[in-house]
Amino acid sequence: MKASRRFLALFGSALMVGAAGCGKPAALAAQPLRVWHWMTDREAAFDELAKRYQQETGTRVRFELYAPSDIYVQKVRAAAQTDGLPEVYGVLGELRDLASFINAGHVLPLEAAMSANGNAWRSIFFPKALEVNTFARENPYGVAPGIYGVPLDVMNVQLFYNKPLLAKLGFDPNQPPDTWEAFLDAGRRAAAERLIGFVSGWAELWLIDCFATDYAIHEMGVKKVEATYRGKVPYTDPDWVRVLGRFAELRDSGMLAEGIVTIGNKRAEQLFANGQALFTFNGTWGVNVYQSMNPDLEYGVVMPPRTDPKRPMVTWGGAGSSFFVNAKSPRRDEAIAFLTWLTAEPQQRYLTEATQNIPANRAAAADLPGPLAAFADDMDQTVHPRLFSVQEESTVIEAFDKGIQSILIGEQTPEEVAARVQQTKQHEARQRAARAARQEQGHVVD
Amino acid sequence: MTGTVVIALQRLRQQAAQSAWHLVCLPVAATCLFPLVWMVSSSLKTQRTVFTDYSLIPAVPHVENYARAWTQGRFGLYFLNSLGYTALIVTGVVACSALAAYAFSRFTFRGSGFFYKLLLSTMLIPIPGAFVALYILLNQMGLIDQGSGHWLARVGYILPQINGGLAFGIFILKPFFDGIPKELEESAEVDGCGVLGVFCHIMLPLAKPALGVVALLTSLAAWNEFLLAYLVFSRHELMPLQRGLLAFHGAHLTEYPLLMAGMVISILPIVAIYLVMQRTIIQGITAGAVKG
Repeated sequence: MKASRRFLALFGSALMVGAAGCGKPAALAAQPLRVWHWMTDREAAFDELAKRYQQETGTRVRFELYAPSDIYVQKVRAAAQTDGLPEVYGVLGELRDLASFINAGHVLPLEAAMSANGNAWRSIFFPKALEVNTFARENPYGVAPGIYGVPLDVMNVQLFYNKPLLAKLGFDPNQPPDTWEAFLDAGRRAAAERLIGFVSGWAELWLIDCFATDYAIHEMGVKKVEATYRGKVPYTDPDWVRVLGRFAELRDSGMLAEGIVTIGNKRAEQLFANGQALFTFNGTWGVNVYQSMNPDLEYGVVMPPRTDPKRPMVTWGGAGSSFFVNAKSPRRDEAIAFLTWLTAEPQQRYLTEATQNIPANRAAAADLPGPLAAFADDMDQTVHPRLFSVQEESTVIEAFDKGIQSILIGEQTPEEVAARVQQTKQHEARQRAARAARQEQGHVVD
Repeated sequence: MTGTVVIALQRLRQQAAQSAWHLVCLPVAATCLFPLVWMVSSSLKTQRTVFTDYSLIPAVPHVENYARAWTQGRFGLYFLNSLGYTALIVTGVVACSALAAYAFSRFTFRGSGFFYKLLLSTMLIPIPGAFVALYILLNQMGLIDQGSGHWLARVGYILPQINGGLAFGIFILKPFFDGIPKELEESAEVDGCGVLGVFCHIMLPLAKPALGVVALLTSLAAWNEFLLAYLVFSRHELMPLQRGLLAFHGAHLTEYPLLMAGMVISILPIVAIYLVMQRTIIQGITAGAVKG
């Protein structure tokens, strides 16, 4: 008797849990369109835009925020495995991560939507912003060529300079140094005055990589950089040694902040915002950060100085953040309609005002205030390694960036670093060849 | 005379040893307290002065930061959520781990040692390590927030935390129950108490200090939790208090004074719990230390 009661109780509980989990899905239209993002500092602006969209179209949109970014990445991956992704979401990580989402059928190709009505949607964006979300023909990831993401804003990384400090050192504050020698000279003078000549968050490898990539392309061109990635040019080539040598010159000038390889970007931003540093190398977001930390800070923005006046200078940049449409969602068209609205000029202008970022929409970026305009003007001179026809191995990039850190602290010479990076490159090539051989053998056996 | 001198000397030596010990402890206490003092001090500054004014007592204290943090971070809503989650998680962990620990301590069954160790080994698995698996499991059970209804999602948030806290609770409570003389139970049984009666009327009251430790440490973990919340919840209305702090911590821009004010607000309940339960907790920890 007791046993049967227990059994009935268990069965009843199980039934209740089951029933609760299998409720009838609510009507799709009644559900808001969901957008997942990690951009904590844009939460209020996004909520306001969602409100406006509902007023204009009647469609409810809900921006759901998950941060920090590593948590966001985990959430998106977990949701992808259960087909639980929202209608619109962002993908963080490297190009291969985005490619894996596309290949798994989680990202809707947007080529058709972008090209409709005579490229109406495509033409509103900075071309560089779209390129970052575009896969070319015969890409190494096996992704069908086309556009997959909608850029929300664009960014690039440039040199910020403190105008009063520059004037104090005898320079015209409206004519910042535009050659490498003049830049070093200003730095030396700052050091002589016991000021920090240059600070950047070079404890973070990606920021070192931006600076080094700028000079690698400036000094030898994209083709030679790509040839190096393909293994056709060694890192011990004089051009690469010269790029690494730029960091030794920075070190020897005495202009670098003490312990620069231990300074994170937030600390570097504090030093520059407090007026303690003459130059800093930072991204577009710095405008918002400095405004918040010190609204009275007088500064300008300039491209990194050229080492060769005959060669064009480039800067690392492209799309800041992008949204993707869930290909498995039955509300794909609504998602596209919303993103079209979000990237239209009025909404992009609002986002710029609220978040101090450069909009991806060209027209909205036409009359930006102060430093943001300088960043926007140089968007056509941006480069992004993601757009190269070949990608370097992450272990080689790490060896290169860490090697630069060791140059900065005087541990190694540029030649030694070049040799070590080349060793890593060759080791990786051997590993890749061995993997390919094993795969080939497996193929034959099969 | 000689005896008095010896006693005086002994007392002097004791005092000197005590003073030396205090001298060692003082810097340790200072390093523990300084971050808290800095946090309170920064919460009263502005975004600009937080990096330029290094004094601990700001010239112009901005008390309004607390009101701004409360409203901008939607702390009212999150505070209530966190209170509810923490209360349920602590109740669940204390109740289940006390029952399980008592069973492991007093009942002999085949494989009890193995199951006990197996249970303890789960302490080595952090929730972030099981993120994807947990998401899939909760999703299949309908316990992930999909935008409609909220009770199931709340259950999906509470259950894994009770589950995660069990191993630690059992680890603390079992040695405690082991140390209680069996004679006490036997005399209660003679007086007509059943197993549950012995557990409720004899064992639980005696284990109060250990239960206090489990309750405090579980509430600390539950109050500070936010990773699982991101996994389970989509809507901010369901999120716990730690979500509010994110409003001030952007990818590039951090509003330090508001963040610090929010953190001060968020630690107050835990400090209050500790102050109320201080004696029980210290008893529990020292008893645990003696038992090894």
